[in-house]
Amino acid sequence: MLQKKICLLGAFGVGKTSLVRRFVDTIFSDAYLTTVGVKIDKKLVTVGTEQMALILWDIAGEDEVSAVRVSYLRGAAGYLLVVDGTRPETLDTAVSIQSRIGAEIGGVPFVVLLNKADLQEDWAIPMERIQVLEAAGWVFRRTSAKTGFGVEETFQELAARLAR
Amino acid sequence: MTARLPLAATRAPGSASEEDQGRRLAGLLLELARCINPEVAATLPSRLEDDPRLEALRGVLLEREQVALARLQRKFDDPRELADAVGAVLPAAFALAAAQDERLGQVIAPTVERAAQASIQKNPGTMVDILYPVMGPAIRKAIAETLEGTLQSINQAVKHSLSWRGLKWRIEAWRSGSSFADVVLRHTAVFRVEHLFLIHRKTGLLLAHVAREDATTRDPQLVSAMLSAIQDFVRDSFDESAGGGTSGRSIDSLRLGDLLLWCEEGPSAFLAAVIHGNPPAMVRTRLGETLATVHDQWRTALEAFDGDTAPFDEAGPLLRPCLLSQGAEAHRKVSPLLWAVPLALLVALGYWLAQRIAEGRRVDSYVAALQDQPGIVVTGAERRDGKWLVSGLRDPLAAQPEELLAQAHLDPARIMGRWEPYQALHPAIVLKRLQATLDPPATVSLTQDASGIRASGSAPQQWVDKARAFMLTLPAGAPKVDLSALKDVQDPDYIRLRDAIQAQLIHFDFSVPRPAADQESKLDAVAADMRELVKVARALGFPVKVTIVGHADATGKDTSNLALSVGRAEVVRSMLRARGVDPAVLAVRGAGPLEPLRPGASEDELSMNRRVSFGVSTGD
Repeated sequence: MLQKKICLLGAFGVGKTSLVRRFVDTIFSDAYLTTVGVKIDKKLVTVGTEQMALILWDIAGEDEVSAVRVSYLRGAAGYLLVVDGTRPETLDTAVSIQSRIGAEIGGVPFVVLLNKADLQEDWAIPMERIQVLEAAGWVFRRTSAKTGFGVEETFQELAARLAR
Repeated sequence: MTARLPLAATRAPGSASEEDQGRRLAGLLLELARCINPEVAATLPSRLEDDPRLEALRGVLLEREQVALARLQRKFDDPRELADAVGAVLPAAFALAAAQDERLGQVIAPTVERAAQASIQKNPGTMVDILYPVMGPAIRKAIAETLEGTLQSINQAVKHSLSWRGLKWRIEAWRSGSSFADVVLRHTAVFRVEHLFLIHRKTGLLLAHVAREDATTRDPQLVSAMLSAIQDFVRDSFDESAGGGTSGRSIDSLRLGDLLLWCEEGPSAFLAAVIHGNPPAMVRTRLGETLATVHDQWRTALEAFDGDTAPFDEAGPLLRPCLLSQGAEAHRKVSPLLWAVPLALLVALGYWLAQRIAEGRRVDSYVAALQDQPGIVVTGAERRDGKWLVSGLRDPLAAQPEELLAQAHLDPARIMGRWEPYQALHPAIVLKRLQATLDPPATVSLTQDASGIRASGSAPQQWVDKARAFMLTLPAGAPKVDLSALKDVQDPDYIRLRDAIQAQLIHFDFSVPRPAADQESKLDAVAADMRELVKVARALGFPVKVTIVGHADATGKDTSNLALSVGRAEVVRSMLRARGVDPAVLAVRGAGPLEPLRPGASEDELSMNRRVSFGVSTGD
């Protein structure tokens, strides 16, 4: 079986954990996030005819005081950067994380999830910024932890990219 | 360059003759050949002097190259400058050569080895200094592990050194030549390796997982990733020397109650074992060896691992033998035959106890049966010298105690009786005593009732008399014996003979003491009856007495008549005696004329009164 280590990253409160909760298998409680700083989940996806196990390392959110433990990123085949669409500063955090990860583990595929897509009226990230980042090679997907919109597809897409 | 220029120069004027051109070209080619091949230069003379223009041309055209060549020449000639130049490019050259193939490594390896050898020989201290930071932690770790193992051994040894098992193990250690602590550990280490996770170090992905059939686990892929994360977490948090890389120390073991997690680290993968119980250090050695084998076999696959676990499918069978376990050996090794011995002893003991208890019970019931017997009083029953001694008082007429043994299912050989004789006044015994002493005829039945003993039926008078006499000898307080219901009966033969004898009268002539002559036949008959009577009485066991009474008539004096009557009786007695009658039963009495048969005074009446009569009675 093909397994891939995928990291789930993003600022505090962007809804990383709740985003995947409904779509993954897990045996660990959320308490691991605050104690060890990481929680492992698993997502089985089918790519072509083959099954792939995405081992998701849900890494505790980052803010000014706590930086992501770099050692948790080691060996990742790809990662998901989660941004809260209603809080532009979370995109800044994502940019900062991305630059550090790039230095640490090199260029592996990643997808940026613009979460809370259901809150259209509170949307605060200007389209221009996204376009600029897309031009730099970023891939954006809109998702909603509340409705589940876009999550399954994102996993599928990431798996397909990793399988290539 | 040098070849083209002269040609170009010749082409430039464009007006020289063909022959001159050909010559020049030949000369040029020859010069070129001299330049290229030193052999040609040796055999052919230079033609430059033939054409000084050539030299001039060269001086003009190649001035810069000549300067550069001279500089290079200097560099080659001066060792110092050459060393400088080579030193500057050497690292890059090594890098390029190593990237192409492995020849460089092979070529320089012997030299490096020799150099290292020489260096160590020259100053060993340097090498120690170099290696110390690397070896130090490794050595410390090895020592710590050894010490830990030894401590565990010592703990076990101390714990078990004084017990019976300890003694057995000491003998085993002595026989097998291994240390006592090892033997103890071998017997006491109860453990089970339940899971083995082979985990890729860099990604934390699960390469292989084996578990016992009965072991349960959550998703091994998740577990292995979490284990890896925790390793990283601990390393990051507490080990400042790690520097975030895959090097550095890591968690060796985690303990949660009875559950133990042992991690064995390798360069590319680590092996995590979930163990129940208390494994010996041997298990860790085994894990280390297995991990080394994994690294050996899958070196390239481990380095190139990108999430595809297919190459590691073969690792499972390699890991499986590491699922070691050991139960409590002492319990396993006992052969069923060994159990049979104490079991047999136990059964024998149980049987013996049961027998003893059952015998005690039987003796109790035997004693109870004895107590119920009239005429027996049990005063004690005790075990003495493996036998039972029952003692007490017993009337000789009471039942035989031995007869009751069979009823109580007791072996007569195991029971001894000690009985003091006494006379019991129990009605049953008194009854027996009466029967033994009085020997009652078949017509008499003696029964025991509430008030005492009662005789019924019929018996001869003399037996009744005897019974009455016996009653008087019984001690006071004895049960009453009632004879009132007995009927007096006599033997019919006795009655017949008595009546026959008493009916006979022997007649006499006047004043003669001898019976009349015609009385002989009468005397014969009465004598025969008397003989039979004596026989009958003897047979029935009672005494009989025949009184011969002589009578006289009333004539003459009374005194002479009395003498005459006694004389007549005496005569008859002697005559009866002569006819075989036992004289002991015969008694005589003279009645004189006082008991006349007929009161008259006629001759017939007087004759009737001159007679002897017979009276038969029983008793003395």
